[in-house]
Amino acid sequence: MIGRRDFLKSSGGVFIAFSLFEPQRWPANGQKPGASSGAPDASKLDAWLAVHPDNTATLFTGKVDVGTGTKTALAQIAADELDFPIERLVVVMGDTATTIDQGPSYGSLTIRVAGRQIRHAAAAGRAVLLDMGADYFKLPASQLEVRAGSLVVVGDPSRTVTFGALVSGRRLDVSIGATGQTFGMKIAPKAVLKDPSTYTVVGKSIRRTDIPGKVTGEFTFIQDVSVPGMLHGRVVRPYGVGAKLVSVDDSGLKEIPGFVQVVRRGNFLGVVAETEWAAIQAAAKLGSTLQPAGPDKAGAKWSDWNGLPAMNEIWDVVRKTPGQNESVANKGSVDIALGDAAQTVKATYLTPFQMHATLGPSCAIADVNGQRATIWSGTQMPHQTQRDMSTLLGIPMENVEVHWVEAAGAYGRNGLEHAVADAALMSQAVGKPVRVQWMRWDEHGWEPKGPPIAQDLVGALDATGKVIAWRHHMWVPTTGDTRLIASELIGKPIGREGRGSGSVTYAYTFENADVSSHGEGRVGLLTAWLRSPAQFETTFAMESFIDELAAAAKQDPLTFRLSYLEDRRAIGVLQAAAEAYGWKSRPAGSQGPSTGDVAHGRGLAWVNRDDTYVAAIADVTVNRSTGVIRVSRVVVAHDCGLVINPDGMKNQIEGNIIQSMSRTLHEEVTFDQAHVTSRDWRGYPILRFTEIPDAIDIVLVNNRPEYPPNGGGEPSTCQTAAMIGNAVFDATGIRLRQTPFRPERVKAALGA
Amino acid sequence: MAQSITLNVNGKERTVQADEQSMLLYALRDNLGLHGPKFGCGLSECGACTVLMDGKAVHSCVTPLSAVRGRKIVTLEGLGGGSELHPLQQAFIDEQAAQCGYCLNGVIMTAKAFLDTHPHPTRDQIKQALDGTLCRCGTHMRMVRAIERASRHESTQEGQA
Ligand code: FES
Ligand code: FES
Repeated sequence: MIGRRDFLKSSGGVFIAFSLFEPQRWPANGQKPGASSGAPDASKLDAWLAVHPDNTATLFTGKVDVGTGTKTALAQIAADELDFPIERLVVVMGDTATTIDQGPSYGSLTIRVAGRQIRHAAAAGRAVLLDMGADYFKLPASQLEVRAGSLVVVGDPSRTVTFGALVSGRRLDVSIGATGQTFGMKIAPKAVLKDPSTYTVVGKSIRRTDIPGKVTGEFTFIQDVSVPGMLHGRVVRPYGVGAKLVSVDDSGLKEIPGFVQVVRRGNFLGVVAETEWAAIQAAAKLGSTLQPAGPDKAGAKWSDWNGLPAMNEIWDVVRKTPGQNESVANKGSVDIALGDAAQTVKATYLTPFQMHATLGPSCAIADVNGQRATIWSGTQMPHQTQRDMSTLLGIPMENVEVHWVEAAGAYGRNGLEHAVADAALMSQAVGKPVRVQWMRWDEHGWEPKGPPIAQDLVGALDATGKVIAWRHHMWVPTTGDTRLIASELIGKPIGREGRGSGSVTYAYTFENADVSSHGEGRVGLLTAWLRSPAQFETTFAMESFIDELAAAAKQDPLTFRLSYLEDRRAIGVLQAAAEAYGWKSRPAGSQGPSTGDVAHGRGLAWVNRDDTYVAAIADVTVNRSTGVIRVSRVVVAHDCGLVINPDGMKNQIEGNIIQSMSRTLHEEVTFDQAHVTSRDWRGYPILRFTEIPDAIDIVLVNNRPEYPPNGGGEPSTCQTAAMIGNAVFDATGIRLRQTPFRPERVKAALGA
Repeated sequence: MAQSITLNVNGKERTVQADEQSMLLYALRDNLGLHGPKFGCGLSECGACTVLMDGKAVHSCVTPLSAVRGRKIVTLEGLGGGSELHPLQQAFIDEQAAQCGYCLNGVIMTAKAFLDTHPHPTRDQIKQALDGTLCRCGTHMRMVRAIERASRHESTQEGQA
């Protein structure tokens, strides 16, 4: 058996299936015995697993790998539960025609949720194969054992059959049971799972098999996909975010060799050409440039729209935007306790719009041909994209196929989904396949951002320095606005605005506490989830402010935190980090040694994001005359339970630390009242090689079979801003309450 | 205007039909199917499109074809010279120095040109050499280790240039 339906078909010349270990091991197009039509059925084993005559197997998952190594990790889970050699297991990801919708690949949920679903499916598969073996040998299943993809008769190792021979080309059309949908789906609920302590593949640092192709240029990213007859499209976005398209002067476009046509629908504008270069030239004439001169200064004339707030007023706007209050924690009475306080501390924390800033601008290919559409995309959510494109194009869902192809790292919802809609509209207009590649300024200018957040905190200490009250209120615009840009531009919005929520896991045991958030819709720019949505920002405030209280109480910041924690795993990561770092108790802000202009400090912060616990400690220097902060060493204690692939997890943690250092030190989206002005890497600088720490030391805590695996894709982003801010305070006595900590801001705070 | 332009890429003469003013990156990717070099910014700001031109690292996104006549271009695909991996490529595998890997072309090609002139660099020199090359995933620590590993490999200087 080759697989269910036509998952290996060569679609437009591109093989859309990915071997984990042997990319060339694909049967040729057309070989599809046992092919079924229609969407796979999650309650059937063949929705998840196919075993081939050559004793290779294919695992099907609706999840995708957004550059975090989840393909390898999911294969490890399946291989272990199935007792199948991982090097013979192929993984097909995110193909809408052949995989089950397991929900989008975000929120560090792939291993935690989909990993469990796949584990159950694989365990059921093992049981099914044992049953087939029992028939084959005419023996009870209890007299058989599974060894590396074969069944062996206990006590008679000469009697053996491979999975491949046993299945002999048939589909595994066996009911294993399934309830629920996407994240809530339960697969094969009755499957008997292995005892995790017997795992042999899970827990190993299996090498990623995509890396060889990526170091030689052979790997196919979405940006590298090309289909026959494909044209090249570029978008021309409005000058002002909400501007209307008044007119298009297309003079000069026809003279560009290879130019095909302008696509205009409402306020959606794009150009299509035979070559990328021609498309770029044509788009530039219409106004797609790094620094457009004005709403009516290029071929496309836009209405004069200036509806964005002034940059420095954005947090006032956030505070005044209507929304809904939500209580996170409420205990005792903060107001009464404040009346008894010996010392009260108040602070406001502000964080700006930030962006995903993928290194590879968003790209998609669409082939819309009458009532059929084929899409190639690096989306985090192929199944949702299928539904959305069906709506956008007015084509029945079953006629829309989405092939997922890996993109450059996205870290949340960036432009990838939007580029699909752009390509779909342009392809529909020209009746040919169109590849749309966003320009750098399209990505920086129009990708959905992480929202600006304002937070007020109040804390009270009694005469002994004990915390008697804690209040934390946050104003959070939406981190889940899924409305597609192109759909809004054509006046047919698809997606939801969503509402922000104060993603914070409050765990302190203060007697009086009031933690709440004000969740809002869109404020200014389109915003969606960006790695650890809102929790990066709320952890900055929470973990900086507890440091402020520790300093006010003249206590050691570690001891201070521990005295208000009962959560064992929180205490565990804090102690593990302290031990790995070599923490010596002294009051917060009592300043490390200074040499000349350079002050040294250490800072600590921790977080619990969705049951993954992280504590981190940094050594930092602050140059008093230049305002430059340098992070020299970071120690991270990370408890996400059982780690499927330790090296892969460490890679993720290092990435989270560096990226969140970048967000802390450098990143802020700038805008005028018309549009985003940080439209390239000069306007939106990120951390560079010369700024990386000398060492990032990682301790994996509770990496044991008895702890279920939780996610590691984003939690270790959360604590970084507080960690660095606390270290700056330790070094200099100044408290930074607004990111990014750029040199000018640091110098201003130092009064230098 | 599109015209026939002959390029020397990875040791072979290749002819493309393209506008002389168009950038080398698009000729490599779209006309010659060499996907090692990537489009990252088109503004000479990120390094994703880096290739070697007469042994020097250049940003192909801002290098017009008119400037390439008579020059020798090497892309990531041509680094190993045939079926062998270049020591730098092997070192990146050994260190598992990638997350998404989109930046790898720029990092490896920049490192190649750098190691050719600095065979025994310090860690700080490596960081300095890569400062114009961006990685958004934060894989820097492993990448620096991979370059150090490659620099210890004696055959680095014999690589094709
Ligand atoms: S794509 Fe050439 S430097 Fe960024
Ligand atoms: S590994 Fe993704 S940009 Fe460097």
